[in-house]
Amino acid sequence: MRKILSPRVRGYRQDFLKIAQVYPVPYLTGGSESSCVVFNLDTMEAPPVTMMPVTGGTINMMEYLLQGSVLDHSLESLIHRLRGLCDNMEPETFLDHEMVFLLKGQQASPFVLRARRSMDRAGAPWHLRYLGQPEMGDKNRHALVRNCVDIATSENLTDFLMEMGFRMDHEFVAKGHLFRKGIMKIMVYKIFRILVPGNTDSTEALSLSYLVELSVVAPAGQDVVSDDMKNFAEQLKPLVHLEKIDPKRLM
Amino acid sequence: NTLNKVLKHEKTPLFRNQVIIPLVLSPDRDEDLMRQTEGRVPVFSHEVVPDHLRTKPDPEVEEQEKQLTTDAARIGADAAQKQIQSLNKMCSNLLEKISKEERESESGGLRPNKQTFNPTDTNALVAAVAFGKGLSNWRPSGSSGPGQPGQPGAGTILAGTSGLQQVQMAGAPSQQQPMLSGVQMAQAGQPGKMPSGIKTNIKSASMHPYQR
Repeated sequence: MRKILSPRVRGYRQDFLKIAQVYPVPYLTGGSESSCVVFNLDTMEAPPVTMMPVTGGTINMMEYLLQGSVLDHSLESLIHRLRGLCDNMEPETFLDHEMVFLLKGQQASPFVLRARRSMDRAGAPWHLRYLGQPEMGDKNRHALVRNCVDIATSENLTDFLMEMGFRMDHEFVAKGHLFRKGIMKIMVYKIFRILVPGNTDSTEALSLSYLVELSVVAPAGQDVVSDDMKNFAEQLKPLVHLEKIDPKRLM
Repeated sequence: NTLNKVLKHEKTPLFRNQVIIPLVLSPDRDEDLMRQTEGRVPVFSHEVVPDHLRTKPDPEVEEQEKQLTTDAARIGADAAQKQIQSLNKMCSNLLEKISKEERESESGGLRPNKQTFNPTDTNALVAAVAFGKGLSNWRPSGSSGPGQPGQPGAGTILAGTSGLQQVQMAGAPSQQQPMLSGVQMAQAGQPGKMPSGIKTNIKSASMHPYQR
Protein backbone atom coordinates (compact mmCIF):
# COMPACT_ATOMS: atom_id res chain seq x y z
CA MET A 1 0.00 0.00 0.00
CA ARG A 2 1.26 3.48 -0.71
CA LYS A 3 2.51 5.23 2.32
CA ILE A 4 0.04 7.91 3.19
CA LEU A 5 1.34 10.92 5.04
CA SER A 6 -0.69 11.60 8.09
CA PRO A 7 -3.02 14.45 7.44
CA ARG A 8 -3.33 17.34 9.85
CA VAL A 9 -5.44 16.54 12.79
CA ARG A 10 -7.83 19.40 12.47
CA GLY A 11 -9.36 18.44 9.25
CA TYR A 12 -8.72 14.83 9.91
CA ARG A 13 -12.10 13.66 10.87
CA GLN A 14 -13.78 15.04 7.81
CA ASP A 15 -11.08 13.61 5.57
CA PHE A 16 -11.35 10.26 7.18
CA LEU A 17 -15.08 10.19 6.83
CA LYS A 18 -14.80 11.05 3.19
CA ILE A 19 -12.35 8.25 2.62
CA ALA A 20 -14.21 5.69 4.62
CA GLN A 21 -17.65 6.53 3.25
CA VAL A 22 -19.44 6.28 6.48
CA TYR A 23 -22.52 4.21 6.71
CA PRO A 24 -23.51 4.14 10.34
CA VAL A 25 -23.44 0.58 11.49
CA PRO A 26 -25.49 -0.39 14.49
CA TYR A 27 -22.79 -2.60 15.84
CA LEU A 28 -24.08 -5.58 17.71
CA THR A 29 -27.64 -4.35 17.74
CA GLY A 30 -29.28 -7.31 16.19
CA GLY A 31 -27.83 -8.64 13.06
CA SER A 32 -28.79 -5.90 10.69
CA GLU A 33 -25.83 -6.76 8.54
CA SER A 34 -27.95 -5.92 5.56
CA SER A 35 -27.64 -2.27 6.39
CA CYS A 36 -23.89 -2.42 6.87
CA VAL A 37 -21.57 -1.73 3.97
CA VAL A 38 -18.05 -2.98 4.33
CA PHE A 39 -15.36 -0.76 2.96
CA ASN A 40 -12.55 -2.80 1.53
CA LEU A 41 -9.30 -1.20 2.51
CA ASP A 42 -7.22 -3.35 0.23
CA THR A 43 -8.65 -2.26 -3.03
CA MET A 44 -10.00 1.03 -1.71
CA GLU A 45 -13.30 0.27 -3.26
CA ALA A 46 -16.75 0.84 -2.02
CA PRO A 47 -19.92 -0.29 -3.64
CA PRO A 48 -21.40 2.25 -6.03
CA VAL A 49 -22.96 5.08 -4.17
CA THR A 50 -26.56 5.55 -4.98
CA MET A 51 -27.21 8.18 -2.42
CA MET A 52 -25.50 11.49 -1.85
CA PRO A 53 -21.82 11.22 -1.00
CA VAL A 54 -20.88 12.03 2.52
CA THR A 55 -19.60 15.56 2.54
CA GLY A 56 -20.45 16.61 6.02
CA GLY A 57 -24.09 15.80 5.77
CA THR A 58 -23.95 12.84 8.09
CA ILE A 59 -26.55 12.47 10.74
CA ASN A 60 -24.75 13.14 13.92
CA MET A 61 -25.18 10.01 15.94
CA MET A 62 -24.75 10.35 19.63
CA GLU A 63 -24.01 7.64 22.08
CA TYR A 64 -25.83 7.85 25.39
CA LEU A 65 -24.01 5.91 28.04
CA LEU A 66 -24.51 4.75 31.61
CA GLN A 67 -21.93 2.62 33.36
CA GLY A 68 -21.64 0.57 36.47
CA SER A 69 -20.03 -2.59 37.66
CA VAL A 70 -20.96 -5.82 39.36
CA LEU A 71 -18.80 -8.16 41.38
CA ASP A 72 -18.15 -11.62 40.02
CA HIS A 73 -20.23 -13.42 42.58
CA SER A 74 -23.29 -11.32 41.80
CA LEU A 75 -22.99 -11.76 38.08
CA GLU A 76 -25.47 -14.61 37.94
CA SER A 77 -28.22 -12.67 39.63
CA LEU A 78 -27.61 -9.73 37.34
CA ILE A 79 -27.78 -11.94 34.27
CA HIS A 80 -31.04 -13.44 35.44
CA ARG A 81 -32.51 -10.07 36.05
CA LEU A 82 -31.42 -8.83 32.66
CA ARG A 83 -32.83 -11.89 30.95
CA GLY A 84 -36.12 -11.07 32.54
CA LEU A 85 -36.08 -7.39 31.74
CA CYS A 86 -34.65 -7.42 28.26
CA ASP A 87 -35.95 -8.61 24.94
CA ASN A 88 -36.48 -12.29 24.71
CA MET A 89 -33.61 -13.82 22.84
CA GLU A 90 -30.92 -16.39 23.26
CA PRO A 91 -28.29 -15.20 25.67
CA GLU A 92 -25.53 -13.76 23.58
CA THR A 93 -21.93 -13.85 24.63
CA PHE A 94 -19.06 -12.13 22.97
CA LEU A 95 -15.30 -12.17 23.06
CA ASP A 96 -13.76 -9.08 21.54
CA HIS A 97 -10.29 -7.70 21.16
CA GLU A 98 -10.17 -3.95 21.16
CA MET A 99 -7.23 -1.79 20.20
CA VAL A 100 -7.13 1.93 20.72
CA PHE A 101 -5.14 3.99 18.26
CA LEU A 102 -3.91 7.50 18.72
CA LEU A 103 -2.88 10.02 16.11
CA LYS A 104 -0.73 12.71 17.51
CA GLY A 105 -0.96 15.93 15.63
CA GLN A 106 0.39 19.35 16.32
CA GLN A 107 -2.63 20.05 18.43
CA ALA A 108 -3.00 19.31 22.08
CA SER A 109 -5.32 16.35 22.12
CA PRO A 110 -4.57 13.28 20.05
CA PHE A 111 -7.18 11.81 17.81
CA VAL A 112 -8.48 8.53 19.17
CA LEU A 113 -9.93 5.68 17.17
CA ARG A 114 -11.02 2.32 18.53
CA ALA A 115 -10.69 -0.82 16.47
CA ARG A 116 -12.51 -3.88 17.65
CA ARG A 117 -12.56 -7.38 16.30
CA SER A 118 -14.55 -10.39 17.34
CA MET A 119 -12.48 -13.33 18.46
CA ASP A 120 -15.27 -15.86 18.55
CA ARG A 121 -17.26 -14.95 15.48
CA ALA A 122 -15.50 -15.92 12.34
CA GLY A 123 -16.08 -13.68 9.39
CA ALA A 124 -17.47 -10.77 11.35
CA PRO A 125 -16.19 -7.43 10.13
CA TRP A 126 -13.86 -5.31 12.19
CA HIS A 127 -15.48 -2.40 13.89
CA LEU A 128 -13.97 1.04 13.90
CA ARG A 129 -15.36 3.59 16.24
CA TYR A 130 -14.83 7.25 16.92
CA LEU A 131 -16.08 8.69 20.19
CA GLY A 132 -16.10 12.41 20.78
CA GLN A 133 -15.78 14.35 23.96
CA PRO A 134 -18.72 13.99 26.32
CA GLU A 135 -21.18 16.81 25.97
CA MET A 136 -21.29 18.92 29.03
CA GLY A 137 -24.88 20.01 28.79
CA ASP A 138 -25.47 18.99 32.37
CA LYS A 139 -29.15 19.68 32.26
CA ASN A 140 -31.42 16.94 33.40
CA ARG A 141 -29.60 14.61 31.12
CA HIS A 142 -29.02 11.46 33.05
CA ALA A 143 -26.61 9.80 30.67
CA LEU A 144 -23.19 10.62 29.31
CA VAL A 145 -23.65 11.87 25.76
CA ARG A 146 -20.94 11.90 23.16
CA ASN A 147 -20.64 12.00 19.44
CA CYS A 148 -20.20 8.59 17.91
CA VAL A 149 -19.25 7.28 14.50
CA ASP A 150 -19.31 3.56 13.81
CA ILE A 151 -17.79 1.94 10.77
CA ALA A 152 -17.42 -1.67 9.77
CA THR A 153 -14.21 -2.46 7.97
CA SER A 154 -12.28 -5.35 6.54
CA GLU A 155 -9.50 -7.15 8.31
CA ASN A 156 -6.51 -5.05 7.42
CA LEU A 157 -7.75 -2.15 9.45
CA THR A 158 -4.70 -2.03 11.67
CA ASP A 159 -2.32 -1.87 8.71
CA PHE A 160 -4.34 0.96 7.31
CA LEU A 161 -4.30 2.88 10.52
CA MET A 162 -0.58 2.41 10.97
CA GLU A 163 0.01 3.72 7.47
CA MET A 164 -2.14 6.70 8.25
CA GLY A 165 0.13 7.47 11.13
CA PHE A 166 -1.82 6.07 14.04
CA ARG A 167 -0.03 4.27 16.79
CA MET A 168 -1.62 1.78 19.10
CA ASP A 169 -1.93 3.11 22.58
CA HIS A 170 -3.44 0.21 24.47
CA GLU A 171 -5.50 -2.88 23.90
CA PHE A 172 -7.66 -5.21 25.90
CA VAL A 173 -9.92 -8.20 25.56
CA ALA A 174 -13.55 -7.93 26.52
CA LYS A 175 -15.53 -11.04 27.30
CA GLY A 176 -19.09 -11.04 28.41
CA HIS A 177 -22.77 -10.97 27.67
CA LEU A 178 -24.92 -8.80 25.54
CA PHE A 179 -28.57 -7.92 26.00
CA ARG A 180 -30.93 -5.70 24.11
CA LYS A 181 -34.08 -3.89 24.97
CA GLY A 182 -35.50 -1.93 22.11
CA ILE A 183 -32.75 0.45 21.08
CA MET A 184 -30.90 0.02 24.36
CA LYS A 185 -27.92 -2.22 24.46
CA ILE A 186 -26.68 -3.67 27.70
CA MET A 187 -23.23 -5.15 27.87
CA VAL A 188 -21.84 -6.99 30.85
CA TYR A 189 -18.24 -7.80 30.27
CA LYS A 190 -14.94 -8.42 31.93
CA ILE A 191 -11.85 -6.59 30.82
CA PHE A 192 -8.68 -8.57 30.40
CA ARG A 193 -5.31 -7.00 30.20
CA ILE A 194 -3.07 -8.32 27.47
CA LEU A 195 0.27 -9.22 28.95
CA VAL A 196 2.20 -9.78 25.77
CA PRO A 197 1.28 -7.20 23.17
CA GLY A 198 -0.37 -8.75 20.19
CA ASN A 199 -0.90 -12.07 21.90
CA THR A 200 -4.49 -12.38 22.91
CA ASP A 201 -3.97 -15.68 24.68
CA SER A 202 -1.93 -14.34 27.54
CA THR A 203 -4.47 -12.26 29.38
CA GLU A 204 -5.29 -11.54 32.94
CA ALA A 205 -8.42 -10.05 34.36
CA LEU A 206 -8.15 -6.43 35.29
CA SER A 207 -10.38 -6.62 38.33
CA LEU A 208 -12.83 -8.87 40.11
CA SER A 209 -15.78 -7.07 38.61
CA TYR A 210 -17.67 -7.02 35.40
CA LEU A 211 -18.30 -3.70 33.75
CA VAL A 212 -21.95 -3.05 32.97
CA GLU A 213 -22.74 -0.60 30.22
CA LEU A 214 -26.11 0.61 29.06
CA SER A 215 -25.84 2.45 25.80
CA VAL A 216 -28.01 3.81 23.06
CA VAL A 217 -26.85 5.15 19.73
CA ALA A 218 -29.39 7.63 18.52
CA PRO A 219 -29.49 10.77 16.42
CA ALA A 220 -28.57 13.95 18.21
CA GLY A 221 -31.18 15.81 20.11
CA GLN A 222 -33.26 12.95 21.41
CA ASP A 223 -32.89 13.54 25.07
CA VAL A 224 -35.95 11.47 25.86
CA VAL A 225 -33.70 8.49 25.34
CA SER A 226 -31.81 9.31 28.49
CA ASP A 227 -35.05 9.22 30.48
CA ASP A 228 -35.77 5.72 29.22
CA MET A 229 -32.26 4.71 30.15
CA LYS A 230 -32.66 6.10 33.62
CA ASN A 231 -35.89 4.18 34.11
CA PHE A 232 -34.20 1.01 33.02
CA ALA A 233 -31.28 1.66 35.29
CA GLU A 234 -33.68 1.99 38.22
CA GLN A 235 -34.76 -1.58 37.60
CA LEU A 236 -31.27 -2.84 38.10
CA LYS A 237 -30.81 -1.29 41.49
CA PRO A 238 -29.62 -2.32 44.03
CA LEU A 239 -27.63 -4.96 42.17
CA VAL A 240 -25.86 -2.43 39.99
CA HIS A 241 -25.76 1.31 40.14
CA LEU A 242 -25.68 2.58 36.60
CA GLU A 243 -24.66 6.16 36.48
CA LYS A 244 -23.06 8.81 34.38
CA ILE A 245 -19.35 8.55 34.98
CA ASP A 246 -17.18 11.27 33.56
CA PRO A 247 -13.90 9.72 32.41
CA LYS A 248 -12.05 12.98 32.88
CA ARG A 249 -12.67 12.78 36.58
CA LEU A 250 -10.81 9.51 36.72
CA MET A 251 -7.67 10.76 35.08
CA ASN B 1 -36.66 22.56 93.71
CA THR B 2 -37.33 23.92 97.12
CA LEU B 3 -39.38 20.86 97.94
CA ASN B 4 -36.40 18.61 97.33
CA LYS B 5 -34.20 20.89 99.35
CA VAL B 6 -36.59 20.83 102.26
CA LEU B 7 -36.93 17.08 102.11
CA LYS B 8 -33.22 16.49 101.96
CA HIS B 9 -32.36 18.93 104.62
CA GLU B 10 -30.57 17.26 107.45
CA LYS B 11 -32.90 18.82 109.94
CA THR B 12 -36.03 17.28 108.41
CA PRO B 13 -37.08 14.34 110.50
CA LEU B 14 -37.39 10.92 108.93
CA PHE B 15 -41.00 10.70 107.93
CA ARG B 16 -41.39 7.04 108.58
CA ASN B 17 -40.75 7.57 112.22
CA GLN B 18 -43.70 9.82 112.52
CA VAL B 19 -47.40 9.42 112.08
CA ILE B 20 -49.69 12.03 110.71
CA ILE B 21 -53.17 12.00 112.12
CA PRO B 22 -55.86 14.15 110.64
CA LEU B 23 -57.68 16.37 113.05
CA VAL B 24 -60.75 17.35 111.06
CA LEU B 25 -62.34 15.35 108.29
CA SER B 26 -65.38 16.49 106.41
CA PRO B 27 -67.12 14.99 103.43
CA ASP B 28 -67.88 18.49 102.17
CA ARG B 29 -66.16 20.13 99.33
CA ASP B 30 -63.53 22.53 100.50
CA GLU B 31 -62.88 25.46 98.18
CA ASP B 32 -59.73 26.65 99.88
CA LEU B 33 -58.20 23.23 99.69
CA MET B 34 -59.16 23.02 96.05
CA ARG B 35 -57.38 26.27 95.31
CA GLN B 36 -54.28 25.31 97.21
CA THR B 37 -53.93 21.90 95.61
CA GLU B 38 -54.78 23.32 92.18
CA GLY B 39 -57.95 21.28 91.97
CA ARG B 40 -56.42 17.98 92.82
CA VAL B 41 -57.95 17.46 96.26
CA PRO B 42 -61.52 18.69 96.35
CA VAL B 43 -62.60 16.97 99.55
CA PHE B 44 -60.64 16.24 102.65
CA SER B 45 -62.37 13.08 103.69
CA HIS B 46 -61.43 9.66 105.00
CA GLU B 47 -60.65 8.40 101.50
CA VAL B 48 -57.96 10.99 101.03
CA VAL B 49 -56.17 10.22 104.29
CA PRO B 50 -54.50 6.86 103.51
CA ASP B 51 -53.07 8.21 100.28
CA HIS B 52 -51.94 11.63 101.30
CA LEU B 53 -51.00 11.25 104.91
CA ARG B 54 -49.13 7.98 104.63
CA THR B 55 -45.65 7.95 106.08
CA LYS B 56 -44.78 4.30 106.06
CA PRO B 57 -45.07 1.75 103.25
CA ASP B 58 -47.55 -1.13 103.30
CA PRO B 59 -46.86 -3.86 105.83
CA GLU B 60 -45.93 -6.46 103.21
CA VAL B 61 -43.68 -4.04 101.45
CA GLU B 62 -42.16 -3.10 104.78
CA GLU B 63 -41.42 -6.74 105.47
CA GLN B 64 -39.69 -7.24 102.16
CA GLU B 65 -37.65 -4.14 102.60
CA LYS B 66 -36.55 -5.28 106.03
CA GLN B 67 -35.54 -8.63 104.56
CA LEU B 68 -33.51 -6.99 101.84
CA THR B 69 -31.73 -4.71 104.24
CA THR B 70 -30.76 -7.60 106.50
CA ASP B 71 -29.44 -9.54 103.48
CA ALA B 72 -27.41 -6.61 102.29
CA ALA B 73 -25.95 -6.03 105.72
CA ARG B 74 -25.07 -9.71 106.01
CA ILE B 75 -22.80 -9.70 102.94
CA GLY B 76 -20.40 -7.15 104.24
CA ALA B 77 -19.19 -3.89 102.82
CA ASP B 78 -16.33 -5.18 100.61
CA ALA B 79 -18.30 -7.89 98.94
CA ALA B 80 -21.09 -5.46 98.39
CA GLN B 81 -18.71 -3.00 96.73
CA LYS B 82 -17.38 -5.73 94.47
CA GLN B 83 -20.85 -6.73 93.51
CA ILE B 84 -21.78 -3.18 92.77
CA GLN B 85 -18.73 -2.71 90.56
CA SER B 86 -19.28 -5.87 88.60
CA LEU B 87 -22.90 -4.98 88.09
CA ASN B 88 -21.94 -1.57 86.77
CA LYS B 89 -19.37 -3.07 84.46
CA MET B 90 -21.77 -5.61 83.06
CA CYS B 91 -24.42 -2.99 82.53
CA SER B 92 -22.07 -0.69 80.64
CA ASN B 93 -20.81 -3.56 78.48
CA LEU B 94 -24.30 -4.56 77.63
CA LEU B 95 -25.23 -1.00 76.78
CA GLU B 96 -22.26 -0.65 74.51
CA LYS B 97 -23.03 -3.86 72.71
CA ILE B 98 -26.62 -2.90 72.22
CA SER B 99 -25.84 0.53 70.89
CA LYS B 100 -23.17 -0.84 68.54
CA GLU B 101 -25.51 -3.48 67.27
CA GLU B 102 -28.18 -0.90 66.67
CA ARG B 103 -25.84 1.32 64.76
CA GLU B 104 -24.52 -1.47 62.62
CA SER B 105 -27.77 -3.21 61.99
CA GLU B 106 -29.01 -0.36 59.86
CA SER B 107 -26.02 -0.51 57.55
CA GLY B 108 -25.37 -4.16 58.26
CA GLY B 109 -28.77 -5.11 57.01
CA LEU B 110 -27.89 -3.53 53.69
CA ARG B 111 -24.29 -4.60 53.55
CA PRO B 112 -24.74 -8.17 52.38
CA ASN B 113 -26.87 -6.81 49.60
CA LYS B 114 -24.71 -3.87 48.84
CA GLN B 115 -21.69 -5.97 48.10
CA THR B 116 -22.97 -6.69 44.65
CA PHE B 117 -20.74 -3.99 43.26
CA ASN B 118 -17.66 -2.15 44.24
CA PRO B 119 -17.41 1.54 43.32
CA THR B 120 -13.62 1.45 43.16
CA ASP B 121 -13.85 -1.33 40.65
CA THR B 122 -16.38 0.67 38.67
CA ASN B 123 -14.00 3.58 38.43
CA ALA B 124 -11.07 1.37 37.55
CA LEU B 125 -12.99 -0.36 34.79
CA VAL B 126 -14.38 2.85 33.36
CA ALA B 127 -10.91 4.39 33.36
CA ALA B 128 -9.52 1.32 31.63
CA VAL B 129 -12.09 1.46 28.87
CA ALA B 130 -12.03 5.22 28.47
CA PHE B 131 -8.31 5.82 28.24
CA GLY B 132 -6.47 2.65 29.06
CA LYS B 133 -5.57 3.21 32.66
CA GLY B 134 -4.03 0.05 34.01
CA LEU B 135 -3.77 -1.54 30.59
CA SER B 136 -0.53 -0.03 29.38
CA ASN B 137 1.75 -2.76 30.39
CA TRP B 138 3.73 -3.30 33.46
CA ARG B 139 4.46 0.08 34.83
CA PRO B 140 1.84 2.07 36.71
CA SER B 141 2.03 5.83 36.45
CA GLY B 142 4.62 7.09 38.87
CA SER B 143 7.12 9.87 38.34
CA SER B 144 5.90 13.39 38.05
CA GLY B 145 8.94 14.81 36.37
CA PRO B 146 9.11 15.12 32.63
CA GLY B 147 10.42 11.99 31.00
CA GLN B 148 13.00 11.82 28.29
CA PRO B 149 12.21 10.89 24.76
CA GLY B 150 13.48 7.45 24.00
CA GLN B 151 14.62 6.18 20.67
CA PRO B 152 11.59 5.35 18.69
CA GLY B 153 11.85 2.59 16.27
CA ALA B 154 9.22 3.91 14.01
CA GLY B 155 10.27 7.47 13.84
CA THR B 156 7.36 9.19 15.51
CA ILE B 157 7.13 9.92 19.16
CA LEU B 158 3.86 9.00 20.63
CA ALA B 159 2.36 10.86 23.52
CA GLY B 160 -0.07 8.43 24.95
CA THR B 161 -2.56 8.81 27.74
CA SER B 162 -2.12 11.03 30.69
CA GLY B 163 0.27 9.96 33.37
CA LEU B 164 3.84 9.44 32.47
CA GLN B 165 3.91 5.76 31.81
CA GLN B 166 6.08 3.66 29.65
CA VAL B 167 4.14 2.66 26.62
CA GLN B 168 4.84 -0.50 24.78
CA MET B 169 4.55 -0.17 21.07
CA ALA B 170 3.47 -3.21 19.24
CA GLY B 171 3.59 -3.77 15.57
CA ALA B 172 0.23 -4.13 14.04
CA PRO B 173 -0.84 -7.73 13.95
CA SER B 174 -0.83 -9.04 10.46
CA GLN B 175 -3.66 -11.06 9.31
CA GLN B 176 -3.02 -14.44 10.77
CA GLN B 177 -0.11 -14.27 13.11
CA PRO B 178 0.39 -11.46 15.52
CA MET B 179 3.97 -10.24 15.46
CA LEU B 180 5.84 -9.02 18.43
CA SER B 181 7.94 -6.07 17.50
CA GLY B 182 7.78 -4.21 20.75
CA VAL B 183 9.58 -0.95 21.05
CA GLN B 184 9.70 0.53 24.46
CA MET B 185 9.52 4.24 24.60
CA ALA B 186 9.56 6.63 27.46
CA GLN B 187 6.83 9.12 27.26
CA ALA B 188 7.86 12.69 26.90
CA GLY B 189 6.11 15.22 29.04
CA GLN B 190 5.03 17.16 26.03
CA PRO B 191 2.12 19.48 25.73
CA GLY B 192 0.51 16.84 23.62
CA LYS B 193 -1.91 15.71 26.24
CA MET B 194 -5.44 16.57 27.21
CA PRO B 195 -5.82 20.11 28.48
CA SER B 196 -5.93 18.99 32.08
CA GLY B 197 -2.77 17.04 31.46
CA ILE B 198 -1.14 20.12 30.09
CA LYS B 199 -1.62 22.00 33.31
CA THR B 200 -0.06 19.31 35.43
CA ASN B 201 2.80 18.87 33.06
CA ILE B 202 3.57 22.54 33.03
CA LYS B 203 3.50 22.61 36.77
CA SER B 204 5.84 19.72 37.20
CA ALA B 205 8.09 21.01 34.48
CA SER B 206 8.42 24.39 36.10
CA MET B 207 9.15 22.87 39.48
CA HIS B 208 11.80 20.58 38.23
CA PRO B 209 14.67 22.79 37.07
CA TYR B 210 14.50 25.19 39.96
CA GLN B 211 14.20 22.83 42.84
CA ARG B 212 16.87 20.37 42.09
